[in-house]
Amino acid sequence: MTAIQFSDVSASRGSRGVLHDVSLAVAAGEVVALVGRSGSGKTTLLRLVNRLLEQDRGSVLVDGRDTREWDPIELRRRTGYVIQDVGLFPHLTVAANVATVPRLLGWDAARVGARVGELLTLVGLDANAYAARWPDELSGGQRQRVGLARALAADPPVLLMDEPFGALDPITRAELHGEFLQLQKTLRRTVLIVTHDMAEAWALADRIAILHEGRIIACDTPARLAESTDPRVMELVKHR
Amino acid sequence: MNGFIAFVASHRAEMAARLGEHVLLVVASTAIAAAIGIPLGIIAARRPALSKPIVGFANLTQTIPSLALFGFLIPLPFIGGIGTRTALVALTLYAVLPILRATITGIQGVAPPVVESAVAMGLTPRQVLWQVEWPLALPSIVSGLRVAVVIGVGTATIASAIGAGGLGDYIFRGLAMVDPTVILAGALPAAALAVIADGLLAAAGRVADPRRRSKGGVAMVVALSLVVVAGAWFTKGSASRADVVVGSKNFTEQVVLGELVAQTIERATGLKVERRLNLGGTAIAHEALLSDGIDVYVEYTGTSLTAIFKEPPANDSDQVFNRVRERYAAVGLTLLPKLGFNNTFAILVRGDAAQNAHLSRVSELAGVAGRWTAGFGYEFLERPDGWPGLSAAYGLRVSGEPRVMDLNLIYRALAAGEIDLTAGDATSGLIEALKLVALEDDRHYFPVYDAAPVARSTMLLEHPEVAAALRRLEGRISAAEMRRMNYAVDGERKDPAAVVRAFLDMIGGIAPGE
Repeated sequence: MTAIQFSDVSASRGSRGVLHDVSLAVAAGEVVALVGRSGSGKTTLLRLVNRLLEQDRGSVLVDGRDTREWDPIELRRRTGYVIQDVGLFPHLTVAANVATVPRLLGWDAARVGARVGELLTLVGLDANAYAARWPDELSGGQRQRVGLARALAADPPVLLMDEPFGALDPITRAELHGEFLQLQKTLRRTVLIVTHDMAEAWALADRIAILHEGRIIACDTPARLAESTDPRVMELVKHR
Repeated sequence: MNGFIAFVASHRAEMAARLGEHVLLVVASTAIAAAIGIPLGIIAARRPALSKPIVGFANLTQTIPSLALFGFLIPLPFIGGIGTRTALVALTLYAVLPILRATITGIQGVAPPVVESAVAMGLTPRQVLWQVEWPLALPSIVSGLRVAVVIGVGTATIASAIGAGGLGDYIFRGLAMVDPTVILAGALPAAALAVIADGLLAAAGRVADPRRRSKGGVAMVVALSLVVVAGAWFTKGSASRADVVVGSKNFTEQVVLGELVAQTIERATGLKVERRLNLGGTAIAHEALLSDGIDVYVEYTGTSLTAIFKEPPANDSDQVFNRVRERYAAVGLTLLPKLGFNNTFAILVRGDAAQNAHLSRVSELAGVAGRWTAGFGYEFLERPDGWPGLSAAYGLRVSGEPRVMDLNLIYRALAAGEIDLTAGDATSGLIEALKLVALEDDRHYFPVYDAAPVARSTMLLEHPEVAAALRRLEGRISAAEMRRMNYAVDGERKDPAAVVRAFLDMIGGIAPGE
């Protein structure tokens, strides 16, 4: 089943065309990495999914429904979003940050509390020790874990991640990669992950889409990409 | 210091009322400014194109000197006039800028990834504002409120110049009487108020910090603020308008004359009289009459003729009086009979300087004035019958440009040697008090300035007994009497009300049936 379907999508920022006739289907439960240089359009493509941006032409379908037909608020509440800077709310505790979407959805306090404890444990944080902490008391890796817990809070079928591990040191990053794979094994979410790090894409993704100047020039499993003869793909692959 | 304590002890109730007015002015203007500045700030923070003109306008209002702003506001309909309303408008305009700036800074200071996450999690624009941007901008907004309040406490002292009351009454009265005790009675509570208000808002800021937010803390700050405002409201006294409102301009003689008119009405009629003394100048007092802010004040015929009605100065006492009475009648005001003395300008020099240079007449100044510096009140420097005419009539030149000085400070500045020559009131008690000498106007340059009460005609029709009482003052006050009363206040530090009471007791014939 297709969870996200981009069909002939073109998008621009200001007067500059960023995406040109991009088509891509992401199956439910699949992890697809969007890889490319800065300015290749990968973040723009990601943001079309939860309508933070809108395309000029073509269509984006989420669960078979055009994003322009979705109520954007509803669409976003069922789409987890994790970014490099995490964007935790500095005026809320870890627990309140994680509880944001469940509370917006009107869950009762007991259910929210239970869910927060469950999620913190899931991302490898001791709920008792961290629930009442403030974001600026956490390390980068801990903040990223809380960000992931917050994105997963209302059990969204789709998870969008923009350079989620980009600001972490290599050891923490490797640790989180392991935990991500572990999580994905049990949760089976549809994940679109933007990264400029080929090794990260290699480690996490079922398929890798390579963007070059606003077009997808290759989209395949890591193993197949390794055999590509396209020099632009070979250039990226050798950095894995 | 003992004098100060004695003054506070004897003026407790009045000081509490002034303090109450002051607090209300500041609280109300800051609240209105917050209601305007915060929403504007939020809008401006989102639309940088709008923020430039908005901040530019707020900046502009901030640069207008407060007295000039009052001058602009007084003639305006609805928001103008004299009294609390105009003061509130002016104070609000001043308070908007710091609040607006702090709001923009606070909202724009929220990290972009935080807002992006909020939007991406499905918060509606309203939820993004109230659940994310607002709490994060609040500490900055509170600091803007602190700045606005501290500026407001200071600026509100000037509200006294347009009859809005407040602690400025003491500062202006003290300046007029050259009495530091009275100045302190206004300045010390104002300073204390600024410190307390700042502290209270600092506490509010700490409570607004999510890390330390506690229900008890919020309740305490809210309760304290309510106590302050309620206390101010309570001490301010009743706001109902008295039967007759007596005004005066802001120098000793005017305060004495205002007191004289007020007590005369009180003694003769038993009507309830309110005093709006120390208004900030001829234009403000006149506008106050026209806008019903006051009912009566004492003006000088020469001043009315030239400064109010823009006619050329004249020297015939009766001719000027009749002309001015006609002009007043045309705008619904009645000029009552002259009080008796002519408060013309007097050219003043220090006594020792006069002795050394053997000066007794203005015409003798021409030989020495070239080495002297002069300082004048703003009106005298600008008015056609002031310095421009005088220097032409006597062929006078002074060293450099004359300095513009506050009317209340020129006598002291002269006595202290900061200037060598000034123009003061011929009846000023400070002339004797500070050992100054008034030179004879031997070419009869200065026009007549006969003192006479001006009243709103409708008030006089409503209360004919007021007109009757004031008519009985005709010719009762000689220049010597006026100088004596001025000196009693300026030189002997007596309370103007007591000085006037003694004077009325002495001349008698004011009380009904006598």
